[in-house]
Amino acid sequence: MDLRDCFKYFASRQEDGVVITSAGVTSGTWWRTTHDLDRAFYLGASMSMISMFGAGIAMGAPKLPVWVFMGDGAFVMNPGMLMVERDLNLPNLKHFLVSNRVYNATGAVPLTNAKRNDYAAIARAVGIERVFEIDSLEGLHSQFDKIVLEPGHTFTVLEVEPLLEKPGGVPLDDVESKIRFGRYIEKKAGIKIFRHPAPEPITNR
Amino acid sequence: MSDKQKEATSLIVEQLVQSGIKLVASLPDDWVADLIHTIHKDDRFKYVPVNREESAVGLCCGAYFGGIPSMALMGASGLMTIVYAITKINYTYHIPLFIFTTLRGVIGDPRAHHISNGLYLTKLMDSISLPYLLVEEQKTIQRIPDAFKHSQVMNRPVVVAFTEAVLRGEA
Repeated sequence: MDLRDCFKYFASRQEDGVVITSAGVTSGTWWRTTHDLDRAFYLGASMSMISMFGAGIAMGAPKLPVWVFMGDGAFVMNPGMLMVERDLNLPNLKHFLVSNRVYNATGAVPLTNAKRNDYAAIARAVGIERVFEIDSLEGLHSQFDKIVLEPGHTFTVLEVEPLLEKPGGVPLDDVESKIRFGRYIEKKAGIKIFRHPAPEPITNR
Repeated sequence: MSDKQKEATSLIVEQLVQSGIKLVASLPDDWVADLIHTIHKDDRFKYVPVNREESAVGLCCGAYFGGIPSMALMGASGLMTIVYAITKINYTYHIPLFIFTTLRGVIGDPRAHHISNGLYLTKLMDSISLPYLLVEEQKTIQRIPDAFKHSQVMNRPVVVAFTEAVLRGEA
């Protein structure tokens, strides 16, 4: 499956929910596909933590769909995250593993044990009940509603080919990204994120 | 847990409540194990055991965007492992993070394998300009809300580091 086509489909089905992407082609491709600055947080600066990041949002905004697109290079650094995800079992958290079996953004170097890694089996082994494996657009179209629209935490492996042409980075100031994303969640979920305490007023004595 | 330790733990927990903390993500260190048990049993907090300290960083950063005041609780060795996470996530995106840790490896800690923490933990925090509050006396516990507020105001991580004596109610 081509990641670009895959993401085009996801983008066409995205409504009010938010997307978190991990470093490399996952972030770059989502940005190239959507140019979204409000509903997406491109957590390019850190690998393996985006599903926990998504879980934190999903806990605080339980009616907001949270899609996490994590590269398998990030996943292999911290597969134990799935245990925490299972423990939390957040119904609005959908974890998508973008599996291309290489470190695509840094020279397409193969992952360790690349061909044998069975990510879906790892997820099932920690007790995640709703695990999906998608390797074609047809499969994505047919399974999408079950994965995304039905309530319940899901872990879905998206088997894609490595991109020969890298999509590039996300041309966005990191702090602007934080503010725009946070303001979007505040508006959609009706929660308060930014709490800069104002200094106490100076009173005349 | 001795009565002194119960009192110290209770003081710490009340300051967390005062700070508005609702979520605690943690990995244990035996110095804070009783604190973790106490938080776990207290329904004023959502307690999340994580698989590694970086996951606590990720969860707490996400919780920030979920509007949940949170804390990552870990031992000194755990803090030594999260430099990448906090400098890449919190420093890059200006996301506050509140961390409790232990001052392992200082004089009085009998465990030799904590020597590196004693030698390098505070120096490490200084080297990455990570603000920290050392809690070496019980009276300093009352400054916990100030440390939390500092993290929120500065949009940076702030660490509160406890000695064993304070956690045991003996200082």
